[in-house]
Amino acid sequence: MRLVRERRGQFIVIAALLISIMIVSVSTVIYGTVTYFKYERWEEYLTIVDSVRTATNNLLQIRLANYSQIGSPPNPPPTLRDNLNQWIGDVRKAYPGFGVDLSYSLASGVKSAFGMTLNYNLGLARRWYQSTSFSAANATFNLNIASVGLTGYNFTADSFLKVTIRDAVWYGGSNSVSIYLTVDREGPEPVLSLLKSNFVVVKASNVTQSNFTLRRYYSSTFNSFIYEVQINSISALPSSVELTIHDGRGMRVISASIPRSS
Amino acid sequence: MRKVKSKKSLKGQMRVIEAIMASLIVIAAVVFLYVFAAAPSSPPQEASELEKIGHNVLHDIDEQRLLARYIYNAEWTNLTAALLVSVPTNVYFNVSIYDINGRPISHPLMQYGNQQFFTTSKATASVSYIVPGYLLSYNPRILVLQLVRG
Repeated sequence: MRLVRERRGQFIVIAALLISIMIVSVSTVIYGTVTYFKYERWEEYLTIVDSVRTATNNLLQIRLANYSQIGSPPNPPPTLRDNLNQWIGDVRKAYPGFGVDLSYSLASGVKSAFGMTLNYNLGLARRWYQSTSFSAANATFNLNIASVGLTGYNFTADSFLKVTIRDAVWYGGSNSVSIYLTVDREGPEPVLSLLKSNFVVVKASNVTQSNFTLRRYYSSTFNSFIYEVQINSISALPSSVELTIHDGRGMRVISASIPRSS
Repeated sequence: MRKVKSKKSLKGQMRVIEAIMASLIVIAAVVFLYVFAAAPSSPPQEASELEKIGHNVLHDIDEQRLLARYIYNAEWTNLTAALLVSVPTNVYFNVSIYDINGRPISHPLMQYGNQQFFTTSKATASVSYIVPGYLLSYNPRILVLQLVRG
């Protein structure tokens, strides 16, 4: 009986010791968690992620603009891979000390996007000289920031420009051809800011025309905003019409169609 | 009978001593934590806010496809004006532009507000923004925007 009571007394001290150890250890864990969160410069890391993502999108647009200026459709120059490799090195240089590591994979083969079927070759695709023509680029990126243990941030960069000739009509009475077209970019969203200067080449029967006017308005017939290119002084029904358009990003698309008589 | 009573009172005193010891141990643990736990040093909220403002402003100008145009066409006045209308009026800024190897690109002073604040203020933010190129040319530039609240 005596022994049992003494043990109970010791138990209070031992319990207090255990409680103290718990207080100290739990506090250490909580302190570690709280300080870990506060030490990290999250804003700066988010800024880097966002900045790299935006700049990579812009880079893809630059590459697509280049691709749509040079090279022939069956054998596009494989510059996208080279430029992206260079870009990876430049991103590391731009954020030294953060351990920024960017890797990529280029779109390849047939893919459906923007309501179309696109056939990518090394991340680039284009279909020209059709009533619906486009230029496109697509690549998927993986971003790691080693200094904060951020790994596996994936994003896809897309660039796309599509020109659709909805109708082309030759008006014999006024000796003119009107081409009704819509222009869309990735999203897809319509491009509504094109000016006459964005219509680089306008051809009728394969002859370059300089005497044309441009209008943009909402058409209830086509149920969308359209551009109307009116080529004047066309005395006979042309065999074809062709438009070369570049948008504000420098991307180019050549679209063609066969006009009908009114 | 007296012997039993004195034994009981001794045990009672021991209980009190044990309780005091237990309390002292717990109090010692709490005091230990209080004394040795250094307050976590967190970056000032102000600098973080300024970083956010700076990045958002540059991102917005870039989204409008103006940033690259200003930089590559050397439209420094336009760049300064765009920043001026985008940042809050009590935020002062200073812009520098570098090539990808960190060499400064020559440009006139692009700043707003009393530059003294950059040396006296405790909360100065710096935002680096990379621009890969413009239209057809790939030639990365790094824009460094420093911000301070006046």
